[in-house]
Amino acid sequence: MTDKKPNVDFHSEHHTELLTINMGPSHPATHGTVKFLVDLDGEIISRIDVEVGYLHRGFEKECEAQTWTGVFPYTDRLDYTASVLNNVGYALAVEKLIGIEAPERCQYIRVIMSEMARMSGHYTCLAAGALELGAMTAFLYFVEARELLWDLIEEVCGARLTHNYVRIGGLTADLPAGFGDRVATVFAKNRELWDEFAKLLLKNRIFVDRMRDVGGISATDAKAWGYSGPCMRAAGVAYDIRKTNPYLVYDRLDFEIPVGTTGDNYDRFMVRMYELQQSMSIIEQCLVKMPEGPINHNDPQWRQSSKDDIFTDMESMIFHFKNEINGVPVPAGEVYFPVEGANGELGFYLVSDGSGHPVKCRVRPPCFQLTSSVKYLIEGSMLADLIPTFDMINLIGGECDR
Amino acid sequence: MDTAAILETGAKLAFVIGINLGFFAPVLAWVERKQSAVMQDRIGANRADIFGFTVIGLFHSLADALKLIFKEDFVPRGADVTMHRLAPMIALIPALMGMAVIPFGGTYEIGGHAVNLVVADLDMGLLFVFAIASVATYGVVIGAWASNNNWSMLGGLRAAAQMFSYEVTMGLTIIGLLMYYQSLSLVEIVAKQESFWNWGIIYQWPAFILFLACAIAENKRVPFDIPEAESEIVAGYFTEYSGMKFIMFWTAEFIEVVTISALCVVLFFGGHHCAFISDAGLVALFGGGDLGNILAMLFGVAVFLVKVCVLIFIQMIIRWTLPRFRYDQVMMLGWKMILPLSLVWILFVGVAILTGLMPTPA
Amino acid sequence: MAITIKKIERGPKLTLWERSFVPEILRGMWITSRHFFHNMKTLTQEFALGGGRSKRSIMTLYYPEERPVTPVAYRGRPVLVRGANGLEKCVACGLCEAACPPHCISIVGAERDNGDRYPTTYTLDGAKCIFCGRCEEVCPKEAIVMSDDWAELCTYDRGEMLYDKERLLRPEASLARRLAFLRNNAFSKARYQ
Repeated sequence: MTDKKPNVDFHSEHHTELLTINMGPSHPATHGTVKFLVDLDGEIISRIDVEVGYLHRGFEKECEAQTWTGVFPYTDRLDYTASVLNNVGYALAVEKLIGIEAPERCQYIRVIMSEMARMSGHYTCLAAGALELGAMTAFLYFVEARELLWDLIEEVCGARLTHNYVRIGGLTADLPAGFGDRVATVFAKNRELWDEFAKLLLKNRIFVDRMRDVGGISATDAKAWGYSGPCMRAAGVAYDIRKTNPYLVYDRLDFEIPVGTTGDNYDRFMVRMYELQQSMSIIEQCLVKMPEGPINHNDPQWRQSSKDDIFTDMESMIFHFKNEINGVPVPAGEVYFPVEGANGELGFYLVSDGSGHPVKCRVRPPCFQLTSSVKYLIEGSMLADLIPTFDMINLIGGECDR
Repeated sequence: MDTAAILETGAKLAFVIGINLGFFAPVLAWVERKQSAVMQDRIGANRADIFGFTVIGLFHSLADALKLIFKEDFVPRGADVTMHRLAPMIALIPALMGMAVIPFGGTYEIGGHAVNLVVADLDMGLLFVFAIASVATYGVVIGAWASNNNWSMLGGLRAAAQMFSYEVTMGLTIIGLLMYYQSLSLVEIVAKQESFWNWGIIYQWPAFILFLACAIAENKRVPFDIPEAESEIVAGYFTEYSGMKFIMFWTAEFIEVVTISALCVVLFFGGHHCAFISDAGLVALFGGGDLGNILAMLFGVAVFLVKVCVLIFIQMIIRWTLPRFRYDQVMMLGWKMILPLSLVWILFVGVAILTGLMPTPA
Repeated sequence: MAITIKKIERGPKLTLWERSFVPEILRGMWITSRHFFHNMKTLTQEFALGGGRSKRSIMTLYYPEERPVTPVAYRGRPVLVRGANGLEKCVACGLCEAACPPHCISIVGAERDNGDRYPTTYTLDGAKCIFCGRCEEVCPKEAIVMSDDWAELCTYDRGEMLYDKERLLRPEASLARRLAFLRNNAFSKARYQ
């Protein structure tokens, strides 16, 4: 934070006023419809009010009207830059409530797709950060990398952005044949583009001046605000749910977590850059270690049966109808399950009453806490500092407003 | 002035204005799109066609012009109507006027008559360019203020501060070069660059870097485009402009790109001179006499245009590669880095010329 | 487990190389110019010298002359399958209607003389469909699948986006690729324990 506090005596002496500007919900720099009411003293922000909620679509209310499986398309649209992570979080929460575990191959594939989603989310954040700073070529290099990654995701999930891939107890489909080779080709090109992006920006004095010592936060303050994810790690706290509370097969994989020192925008940027590299390494490890086998749980009560069974076996047909019309009979209880989302701790708090519809499906969005601290980070800095800080916080409107 | 002189000046004026408004402005819009596209691994706009001929997207400039002519020309409520309408013209006209003193060729004997390829051969040509460029600041600030919009006002304030500071600095960066050439007249500076080893870039390359930085800042292009920083203040000083007025602002920016390139070519890269061929040698190469002079003239103009295009290419690369500065960093760069460096360079050039380290061209 | 940390290395101050703007700027310009000249070379090879599509190094496709080939798992517009006897395979069970998140399907079912159920009207509102694939997932009869139709779904008239049964029906042979994917990968017995 710069120490350019506005001088109140100056204003009353010279009969000047602060300029109130509305960086409204539709503005090139406010990702995902956020409103900033900014009081400007020249170029210095003397007061800022952050208003979220312009993208509220009633996720929780919608989920109460759906079956447990029907919620999956809705979870896609939470953090829409990294859809599979939301699917995985919700599926793991429901599975914990039921008390089942998906087969091993399914867990590996969930890790692979989660990491691809994480890469997609980080590519979007970093590319948007470069674009907001004016480096449009760097933006397009990472968009190219993201497009190639989405080609891979499209082969597996069926869509590029709203993946809808995970189900309770399993997945919708297995990896296609020859996936490993295509991953290798795409990752070679992605690593090339990563290098070029890094060379274009990371040591460039213009970029460094914009990002260094801007929007910094100390580790204690970050913990007090409830930070998690890349912003927390940039502040110096080595907290990653994949390491502290491992789920799926993360405890069998070897990866580092990048940790910063000052928590400023440069550290957040670097943490995300290094996490891209680590995700690629995780995916490559999984592709090697993954066993063959089924991808769906064996108890037909909790997951959809195979179509062969539905076509031929009466019990499977009955289970199928009951599960789709009434919903999977998740036992009564409540559960909270956090996963490491692209922005931080993405948690699902589910309440069930034993019927096939959720009673409550609350999402703990990681960027809500991050956004609430923007006021603290920005007041006293210049208007032009708001842009990179807000970019690196990476508020995703769908997630924050649900 | 006799009719021949009037006709000659008229022809030169027509050429300068024609090639600026008719060739460079639309083609620069195309170059900006296409060059940035190819740099970014994509194709630019290539669909505008006339009877099926797309000509790699050149018609998009024409399509843009037609579209913007037909757009509603509004003045926002509460805005100062006269000033709002006047501002784009104040921004555009100085940009065009700056080309008047830039020589796009040398002096040729055609029909017993010395034809000097510059619209106005002023003794203080360089000062004229700087003075006229300063007037363009008014266009921006008036346009910003007259829009009755907080965003425009922010853009206008930033533009005023930036353009004003970089004019001062730009003047100082050139002084070393002027000491080297011992003249303010652009025609004389070009004439002295006949030999390749007298080109400005050889001995004055620091001044080139500083001058290019200041000129890009003056022109409000990335990395100095804070007055119109799209991601921060929407569109800055031309938020409330649409239609022809918007085109005028854009054309002013592109014409200034050309002016800066032309200035750099004239000051540092030898103007119309082809390296290692003298003027007389060129005329002799084309056969001497009237025809030889005419051909040498056309060749000189072509060389000049090619060099201007290369400089434009370099400016486009700079524009599409770099992120933009913050407002206080722009000010710090101008006053605390470029200004002292240019003063140090002036001192160095002075000492070097006196001690004979830097031989001045004859 | 031990957490292996990668510290972001940054010195307290910038190095001299970083502090002077020009070297890094020149390096950045070199990278983008390299992209420019490489792409210009391949574009010339592709078009002026007739090298063809294999020479292309830019990412863009010349749509609509060239269309992307979507993978077999791609979820395009839902279509109804017309079976071998020329009739729709749909038995109007209503599972797709129940499973559809935006409720874009509405079915009115009836029975034929031979006892087979069939939908008298099957309407799918293309404007509401989110292409999630739940209808295909729950169908017990392989009667509705996601096709590879994703382009040119736009119309000038909103009413045209309300697809009725006749516009949704497609012969089974034309959907062989998707049906094979569903049988061998997505819903095959091997995927289930």
